[in-house]
Amino acid sequence: MEFAFALCVGVLTTAGIYLMLRGQTFPVIVGLTLLSYAVNLFLFASGRLTVNGAAIIGQSEHYTDPLPQALVLTAIVIGFAMTAYVLILAMRARSDLGNDQVDGRNMPEARDTGSDAGNGDKPRARRGLTRTELRDGKPRKER
Amino acid sequence: MSVLWILLLPMLGMILPLLSAKKSRTTIAWLTALPPALALAILLQQIPSVFAGAVPAFEAQWVPLLGLSISLHLDGLAFLFCLLILGIGLLIILYARYYLSAQDNMAVFYTYLLFFMTAMLGVVLSSNLLQLWLFWELTSISSFLLISFWSHKTEARKGARMALSVTGAGGLALLGALLLIAHVCGSYDLHTVLKQGDLLRSSEWYPAIITLFLLGAFTKSAQFPFQFWLPHAMAAPTPVSAYLHSATMVKAGVFLLARFYPALSGTDAWFVAVSLTGMTTMLVGAYTALFKHDLKGLLAYSTVSHLGLITLLLGLGSNLAAVAAVFHIINHAVFKASLFMAAGIIDHESGTRDMRKLNGMWKYMPFTATLAMVAAASMAGVPLLNGFLSKEMLFAETLHQETLGALSWWIPLLSTAGGALAVAYSLRFMHDVFFNGEPVDLPRIPHEPPRYMRVPVEVLVVLCLLVGIFPQFMVGDLLATSSQAVIGTELPSYSLAVWHGFNIPLLMSTIAILGGVILYINRRHLFYFQGQFIEHDAKLIFEGAVQWLVRRAEIVNDWIDNGSLQRYMFLLLLLALAVSAGPLFELKDTVGTHAQLPINWVVGFCAALLVAGTFITIWWIHRRLVALVALSVVGLITSIAFAYFSAPDLALTQLSVEVVTILLFLLALFFLPQKSPVIDSSFTVIVRDFGIAALFGSVIGTICYALMTRPLDTISGYFLEHSKPGGGGTNVVNVILVDFRGFDTLGEITVLGIAALGIYKLLVGMRVFMPSTDGNGRRWSSDSHPLLLALVSQSLLPLALLVSAFIFIRGHNMPGGGFIAGLITAIALIQQYVAHGVVWMKERLPINCLHLIGLGLLIAFLSGLGSWLFGHNYLTTWFDHYHWPLVGEFELASAMIFDFGVYLTVIGAILLILTDLGKLTTSERQSEGER
Amino acid sequence: MLQHLPVLPLLLPLLGGIVLLLPPLIDSERGQRQFGLLFASLTLISSLVLLQQVHANGTHVYALGEWAAPFGIVLVADRMATLLLVLTAFLLLCVQMFSCAGDDRKGRFLHSLLLFQALGIQGSFLTGDIFNLFVFFEILLIASYALLIHGGGKQKTAANVHYVTLNLAGSALFLFALGIVYGTFGTLNMADMQAKAAHIPEADRELAEAGALLLLVVFGLKSAMLPLHFWLPRAYASASAPIAALFAIMTKVGIYSLWRVHDGIFGAQAGALAHVAQHWLWPLAWLTLLLGIIATLSSQTLRMLTANLVLVSVGSLLLMVAVNTEESATAGLFYLVHSTLACALMFLLAGLIVQQRGKAEDRFVASRQVRQPILLGGLYFLAALALIGMPPISGFIGKTLMLSAALKAEAAGWIWPPLLLSSLAALLMLARGGSTLFWRVRGENQKGIPVHAMQLGAVWLMVAALLSIMIFAGWLTSFMQMAAQDMYQGLDLRELFPLKMEGGPDA
Repeated sequence: MEFAFALCVGVLTTAGIYLMLRGQTFPVIVGLTLLSYAVNLFLFASGRLTVNGAAIIGQSEHYTDPLPQALVLTAIVIGFAMTAYVLILAMRARSDLGNDQVDGRNMPEARDTGSDAGNGDKPRARRGLTRTELRDGKPRKER
Repeated sequence: MSVLWILLLPMLGMILPLLSAKKSRTTIAWLTALPPALALAILLQQIPSVFAGAVPAFEAQWVPLLGLSISLHLDGLAFLFCLLILGIGLLIILYARYYLSAQDNMAVFYTYLLFFMTAMLGVVLSSNLLQLWLFWELTSISSFLLISFWSHKTEARKGARMALSVTGAGGLALLGALLLIAHVCGSYDLHTVLKQGDLLRSSEWYPAIITLFLLGAFTKSAQFPFQFWLPHAMAAPTPVSAYLHSATMVKAGVFLLARFYPALSGTDAWFVAVSLTGMTTMLVGAYTALFKHDLKGLLAYSTVSHLGLITLLLGLGSNLAAVAAVFHIINHAVFKASLFMAAGIIDHESGTRDMRKLNGMWKYMPFTATLAMVAAASMAGVPLLNGFLSKEMLFAETLHQETLGALSWWIPLLSTAGGALAVAYSLRFMHDVFFNGEPVDLPRIPHEPPRYMRVPVEVLVVLCLLVGIFPQFMVGDLLATSSQAVIGTELPSYSLAVWHGFNIPLLMSTIAILGGVILYINRRHLFYFQGQFIEHDAKLIFEGAVQWLVRRAEIVNDWIDNGSLQRYMFLLLLLALAVSAGPLFELKDTVGTHAQLPINWVVGFCAALLVAGTFITIWWIHRRLVALVALSVVGLITSIAFAYFSAPDLALTQLSVEVVTILLFLLALFFLPQKSPVIDSSFTVIVRDFGIAALFGSVIGTICYALMTRPLDTISGYFLEHSKPGGGGTNVVNVILVDFRGFDTLGEITVLGIAALGIYKLLVGMRVFMPSTDGNGRRWSSDSHPLLLALVSQSLLPLALLVSAFIFIRGHNMPGGGFIAGLITAIALIQQYVAHGVVWMKERLPINCLHLIGLGLLIAFLSGLGSWLFGHNYLTTWFDHYHWPLVGEFELASAMIFDFGVYLTVIGAILLILTDLGKLTTSERQSEGER
Repeated sequence: MLQHLPVLPLLLPLLGGIVLLLPPLIDSERGQRQFGLLFASLTLISSLVLLQQVHANGTHVYALGEWAAPFGIVLVADRMATLLLVLTAFLLLCVQMFSCAGDDRKGRFLHSLLLFQALGIQGSFLTGDIFNLFVFFEILLIASYALLIHGGGKQKTAANVHYVTLNLAGSALFLFALGIVYGTFGTLNMADMQAKAAHIPEADRELAEAGALLLLVVFGLKSAMLPLHFWLPRAYASASAPIAALFAIMTKVGIYSLWRVHDGIFGAQAGALAHVAQHWLWPLAWLTLLLGIIATLSSQTLRMLTANLVLVSVGSLLLMVAVNTEESATAGLFYLVHSTLACALMFLLAGLIVQQRGKAEDRFVASRQVRQPILLGGLYFLAALALIGMPPISGFIGKTLMLSAALKAEAAGWIWPPLLLSSLAALLMLARGGSTLFWRVRGENQKGIPVHAMQLGAVWLMVAALLSIMIFAGWLTSFMQMAAQDMYQGLDLRELFPLKMEGGPDA
């Protein structure tokens, strides 16, 4: 059992890291998510595995180690917050920089330090649009 | 105490000019002159005691740990230098009053001047090594300010920067040397150090010490090969040059040599390094001076050469030579200051410093001319002038040198040559400027300067004469005491007199003078010879060097940091792999002694499913929707795993978080490119990435396996034991979350709240490109709120709310709790948004998510604070059991309030994130510019 | 109240951050500013009182929920931690003052986020529990993510993407490490770990070592150690002035954790696990400093230059961690305080220069004169001296302390050259930069916005702080020496919780 578990952790880690080394934001974020699964399982396993020994007083005679579970809970919540943030950030980057590359192809030149609240970026964002693989950039009509 | 005042007065005086900036120029000058004058008075007051051999001192602790203390002492050498610094300083202040024009900011100039004066006094008065270094650096800084006073001129800026860079570098070297000296001697106190010369000379550090030390001294006093910065410092106003390059700045270097003479001199290394450097500098400086057309340029190089002479004397290592060095320090200060000021007057009155234009000044300013020529004669070493005496002593000394063995006669020979060159450039200064025909198109008609501008020059020139004629009377005691301080042991016997009878030194002087005259007369040939070489501008070379350095640095930096996240990530993971793999090689047996669970087919199947899902995710990552589905499968298995291995809370949380995460992904995917290139990087890169990923994965897997199969004694027993009695709950995990480690949870929801704020900031004013079709060109459904969904979700809502309430209540004893409940509620509400759209919801659910977050956090925060009322620590919980009819036995715990805060925060955060994101597609998106 | 003193420096910024999110303050600019400043100053005051208390009566330990360590979470307020608390709170106050001049109009929640950021930093300094340290790291990170994009613009977004992604990876590594640590030590309390380190069963030793080294990577990433430093320059250079100034202390959190964990838990007492990270730390620290020098020389704008000087300071501090003696810790501590203030000051000045210099911003090119050349020039001069480490500003004390610490540890041969060269590089670049920014001017510039009173106040506060740490260096260094001793001693839980180690809480 332990071996299967460790194998899964290893596979998840591998996949996560491989994706984190890709060149666009989306795979990177998916990679981070996979990695966070691996992390949670790993942290959980640090308390050793137990079957039907939930740490609820009076439910069973031998209990699993509750502490790592609490830690993993915290980790999950924090992980969720971070994932949410980085996802939206990816969208922001796409809208500011015009594409979702992270491999340094689209470093904005030093001139613009953007002390203006975003509205200075309009032209470049539009230009960026043509570079992306999107079909059209027209905002959808509201209903 | 009085010693302290000598330093303190000019320091405090710095504010006077600034305060009186609005007053007339003369007033400013007087006010500025006041503190140094007082200091000088105090100094002169000390004459009896100092000449009697007493050393007034002042001591105060500052940073004991560092060995840095405020300790001043006024020994002979310090006295001599204080005299020069203050005396000549005062003359300079007077002179500058007339030299500076109305445009120049006089107050600032005087402030800088006093700053510099203070720094110099500090250097010479220090008896603590680190304090000495401190003031040493201050001289560099203040001279930078002075040299760059006319900062609108390029050469002023460049000259100042060059001076600062060179002397600053020297300063660092000196710091190193001083630290090493203190390390060897075990003390930062100068007197202790000076007594331990033998220890120093014999220590293994001596070579390092002397190298760094000499670097510091030579850069400061412009010794070869560092002489290049000094002439460019001439861009400063002439009073500055007159001060820095006669009595002070450059003298600091030789002062240092003199100061540490007892401790460091006396070895062959010292002799070779110091005397040869001095000799070279003397010759190079004198030779170059001859060809300078700029008046100040000539004087600058002559300064270089004279400093070389002093260095040479200190290098020779005989006590008599040291005396000569001290003597020449005095003389050079006097005549060089007057010469600079004279040059300044000429420049000031005629508007140029170019000797090719300046001719026949004699008839325009006879008085100044006389003064200048006397001073120049002294510089040349003409008898009856002070310069002559010290030069003779030099010649005398060079005669008793054996260190170069059979070739020791080089030293006197070269010295004489140097003397001859000095005579030659002095002659040029006199003849070229004051006679030699008519001036060539001067900017303005020159005339005598204002009365008081000449006074300083007069004073100094008179001194030249007096010292030259009655040396013993004038400077006998001064020289004795100061040399005493330099040598440390008893003085050698010497006589200060103009006439020592016919002897070799006299012969050498004569040769020097005659040779100089001959040289000057045949200068045409020399100039022609020199003309063949192109002249290098040290400034350009230096700037070029710096530019080159900067460019190289840029190249290297760009090469390392190419702005690619992939590289950064790769290096991060590579390092992580390297460090974590290392120990595993040592790890003897992976499998530990802990009993393992038997595997069954269910688990096997799930594991297989997970692996499959993972591989699908990476394989079809370019088809993003597919990847997402596979991802959600993986997430599902994870939560199943938690459930199976007896972690129900984890399972529930993972499950509900999974739902929200995937929802987010889908929404984001709508705005992100739907597809990425199938192959985004070269095959080798992919192989490389996969390689490191697999390696790291295997490392983590191995560690995980090793951990799980080892026994562990942990602190968890405590939690199981005290959960019920201490925390009042049977669900230990939940009790840990809200009680034992409630602080973590508080932090965790804070993170959630902040994340919501950040996302809000990101979304404001975001321009998104909304595709009308999905990745495969299919149009999105036109019906955004299908009726069926609306009905179902509406009927589901109450149920969902009920469930969440139930989960919340039981949380403390059964799996559940505020977080999961919050997620469920949030999902239920989100469903309504999806079904009915933002506008519809806004009418029916007028809650502000921000406020919800704030409220939740506040409740959680305060629930912990309650315990203070009962004098308990933060987050100390309280619980009790009650019995109500009908309801029956139930429990109330302060932890539940905390949990409620969690509940609200979660709802607020998730609603804020998802609805704001959803709003982007509608008219509800926030306006720009408020991020 | 005194009983709760140790937790106040955390509760005050937290409360402040929350209150500013709620009506009526959320929508009133004046309210935001006044209460922001109020909470910042309260935090500073509480930290100062705590410092005084700790100095008088030794380390304070505060058990949250009154659960005995190592079971519950404890805050350990020792000299080192409280000193850094004061530093952080002071920085927070200055930054908040500065941002009241208009930076807080460029976006929402600035004051809340600043307080939350401070909360994260303070918590990381105070906590005695390694998982709690992780939580506080996350707080300071998420706050810094949100702060970095404050004001908007492509530069910030681009820098943010890199910064966030790298740090997410870092957090994942942190959790792996924590899993290993718990799996081998069976505890999370750092003092407890320090006690247990020597008694780790033979079979688990290598695993524990792997965990320790992973922690090195995590903290290295936080403190921008080579080759994990890449997030720093662009992030710091693109952040708006007050935020960059507050960031100046973020890297120091990593350094502090390295001290705590690798010189503390895995210190000399750790038996077979003693100094596991040294052989990695040495070369990496050295190379970091070297790269800092190169990057410094390659800087094109004042903000980039300052960011690279942060890198230099990190390199120097890492070397002090590597030297790992009481002297080096003392020296490092002093230099840490000094360099944080100096870099922050320079970031603020860069902001002012940008605000007055028009299109050229802070690039080292000839351009229009700033509006207030005397004022800004003078301040720049002071800040530059501080950064170079030249007297009379406190920098030279820190540098000298570090040099002599290296000498005493017989590491001068390695440490001196880069340390001295870094000063030289800083001198070269700051002299060039300064003379270009202030002297190579064409025409007056009346268009620039004059320095706001609040901005000026903040800047002068920092200058005053720099001067006073120089004047009172004697007292400060001796205090830091004691702090270093405390750190190497570690604290004995059994003596703090005599009964509770076995028994339950006395609630």
